[in-house]
Amino acid sequence: MKKYILVRILKSIISIFAVVSIIIIMIYTLIPSDKVFDNDAGAKKMKGDQLTTYKMKKLEELGYLDYVSGTELCTTAFGEDGKDACLAAGSTQMEEAAAPYAAKGYDIMTLKSGEKYAVHRFKWYELLLRFYKKLFVVDSVNAVKTDDPDFERKYYWGKNPYNGTPALKCSGCTYKYQMYFDGSFPFIHQNKFRLDFGTSFPTSQGVPTMQVITDGQGANKKIDQTFDTGLTESSALIQTSCQYKPKVDHLDQKRFTDNYAACLSFHESPSMVNTSYILGLIALVIAYGMGLPFGIAMAANKDKAVDKLGIAYINLLIAVPSLAFIFFMRSIGTLFGLPDKFPQLGFNDIRSYIMPVLILALLQTPSLMMWLRRYMIDQSNADYVKFARAKGLSQREIFRKHILRNAIIPIVNGIPASIILCISGALITESAFAVPGMGKMLPDAIKMTNNNMVITLVFIFTSLSIFSVLIGDLLMTVVDPRISLAEKGGE
Amino acid sequence: MSENKKNLILSVKDLEVKFKVRNKILTAIRRISMDFEEGKVVAIVGESGSGKSVFTKTFTGMLEINGMISNGEIWFEGRDLAKIKSDKEWEQIRGKKIATVFQDPMTSLNPVKTIGDQISEVIIKHQGKSKSEAKTMAIEMMGKVGIKNAEKRYDEYPFMYSGGMRQRIVIAIALACRPRILICDEPTTALDVTIQAQIIRLIKDLSQEYGFTTIYITHDLGVVANVADVVAVMYAGQIVEYGNVEEVFYDSRHPYTWGLLSSLPQLGEKGENLFAIRGTPPSLFEEIKGDAFAPRSNYAMKIDYEQEPPFFKVSDTHYAKTWLLDPRAPKVEPPAAVAHLHERMLALTSKGGIYGER
Ligand SMILES: Nc1ncnc2c1ncn2[C@@H]1O[C@H](COP(=O)(O)OP(=O)(O)OP(=O)(O)O)[C@@H](O)[C@H]1O
Ligand SMILES: [Mg+2]
Repeated sequence: MKKYILVRILKSIISIFAVVSIIIIMIYTLIPSDKVFDNDAGAKKMKGDQLTTYKMKKLEELGYLDYVSGTELCTTAFGEDGKDACLAAGSTQMEEAAAPYAAKGYDIMTLKSGEKYAVHRFKWYELLLRFYKKLFVVDSVNAVKTDDPDFERKYYWGKNPYNGTPALKCSGCTYKYQMYFDGSFPFIHQNKFRLDFGTSFPTSQGVPTMQVITDGQGANKKIDQTFDTGLTESSALIQTSCQYKPKVDHLDQKRFTDNYAACLSFHESPSMVNTSYILGLIALVIAYGMGLPFGIAMAANKDKAVDKLGIAYINLLIAVPSLAFIFFMRSIGTLFGLPDKFPQLGFNDIRSYIMPVLILALLQTPSLMMWLRRYMIDQSNADYVKFARAKGLSQREIFRKHILRNAIIPIVNGIPASIILCISGALITESAFAVPGMGKMLPDAIKMTNNNMVITLVFIFTSLSIFSVLIGDLLMTVVDPRISLAEKGGE
Repeated sequence: MSENKKNLILSVKDLEVKFKVRNKILTAIRRISMDFEEGKVVAIVGESGSGKSVFTKTFTGMLEINGMISNGEIWFEGRDLAKIKSDKEWEQIRGKKIATVFQDPMTSLNPVKTIGDQISEVIIKHQGKSKSEAKTMAIEMMGKVGIKNAEKRYDEYPFMYSGGMRQRIVIAIALACRPRILICDEPTTALDVTIQAQIIRLIKDLSQEYGFTTIYITHDLGVVANVADVVAVMYAGQIVEYGNVEEVFYDSRHPYTWGLLSSLPQLGEKGENLFAIRGTPPSLFEEIKGDAFAPRSNYAMKIDYEQEPPFFKVSDTHYAKTWLLDPRAPKVEPPAAVAHLHERMLALTSKGGIYGER
């Protein structure tokens, strides 16, 4: 059993990397790199050599290529002193400086000004190698680069400034708080291991993609807190998120005794992930709460009024395009004074949630009802049901004690997936209500050629799907005694 | 049919069962009258589709939704079961007074409930016992049907049991409430021969111990010879011959019974072709005129196509529904294979034969 799970996890991880690798190769080799700038305001303002140089720098940042500017060429060849002569217009030294790069397989290009530069576009395997090399980040005491000889490098125990629980802190690491506890999921938080997917571009330029997804939204929210220096003030800074900052200003020094002053901020509204999660989870609970009893009632009263009503409902919801259904429901909502756009009343008003949640829930009910009904009717023709009847059990008892247990098994299998995949958001519903959630992120990222974001989202969604299948299978072993997970056959 | 109606436990009169199939009506049971004597083992034999299962299903109200009793009475403990309409009333009979064991033990048990739960369930339901009392009784019952380590195996699931073991559990469930009648609908067909013999033995032993009446449906005449006191032969929704086991085996009178007996595979001599009754049973959708078996019979007479034969009495316990027994009918001899049945049967059922006691 243990071995089986281990093998399954390993296989899952391999599948995730296979999918992500394919996506990376596709993005970097099939989409012309110039498209990255289509939505970039910065590039629109430039032209000529300035634009070319800007693009090269950005593409290098984005991991497309290795770019060696004229200045770098000259500096490498002739040192700080000789570089000016080399860079002078019409200089022949430029050729000379470029020669070693040409030999290494770099393309030597010439700007309109006559200046040369070298570029090497990465091959697909180089792209993958570089991506995975920087993906896994393990924070350590040697992470901070500094010339300060007195800089202390150590782990030490401190307190979480918000609740006083013990926290593992670090001097020398990128993050000051390596591990700490609080009341929000998943309760134990750590900054030791991170996944670095690069930064977002062209939207949210320079912000790590993971941060874009998980950071709160809306205005900063100030709370009363006490800093290392003993200063108590109303501030939005999240102390547990602080990173090392080479140069601190006097404001930082008022709060912090060390250089860990680059902190994230509390926000008024939840992050994109959490927004989708909140909506999705409530909708899920409602969907199961409605769908399961309704499905059971349909099966128990097959061909009777309840069943016919249910079938009509299922057919209606399946037949009507979900977009039409969403807009129809939305206009019904407005009749009751509910907002047709989420931001109208915002995160803190319960009315903002009612229609999106209701729609998300209703959209899930038909398949739930249909499958449960189908499973139950299948089961009611089974021999063990006939025997249970011969035992003298009533129809109710048979349904409750025998059929339901069996019919629910395949449903249980799907529950983890439903819960976990709430995170990915519901594209159409979120768009219709302009909900700032995950639903729109992937299409938006694709539209904006925000490559790193696309890769990040693909990685997240793939991982979630694959692991939810695994968890579903594990859950099956709990509800179905016949299933024991083992490589081959039973245990 | 027997005139001295002593100790009758179940009495069926003029029973007719119809099924609605799309827009057509199928008559599965065509006016059967039959008495079941307390404590006896009654075997019902006949080709597939002759109505054996449907006949016994009426005793527990287990007809499918499209079926109905269109005529007749079924008397049990002073009430007419044919009149019962509500499931509530049936629950007092089913499992409690009349229990059924079905053919396939592999699928008769709920795969996701423990064996113990499935036995206790009926005890709790019908005898109003507490959970722990029911458990004690269930474990005792498991021991009775030959499950070793019953205590330990109580919490196991059906998939952990072999087919034979499961059928023992099914029997334990059926007998848990000490029913007065046990209907076994081909209880061993899905099992291999050795296990079959054990299960048959078990049912027989338990019926002697508890004194319930057994109605045993089977295709296997070897089994019949081994366990039955009384045999009823069914054809096309009717009983065509009825009598004590020796009478039906060694002095059968109906051509259909002859056909059945000659086609016994266990009796086939090496090198001999196995006998098969020619033709197919009549369609039950249409009205059957005369003797339903006539078109397939080698002994059919003109009257067989015109008028349904009555039951002719052979002895006080032996009746057959064929015009051949009419005094006006010509004398016919049964086929040779049937004539020598006695000796052959003896070899099969005595020690060492496949149905012999082990
Ligand atoms: N629910 C039903 N609907 C329609 N016809 C049915 C139904 N149940 C039984 N029948 C018909 O009634 C007849 C008798 O069926 P039954 O199951 O009693 O046969 P059987 O003698 O038990 O056969 P087998 O040995 O194959 O079990 C068959 O012709 C069958 O097709
Ligand atoms: Mg049958």
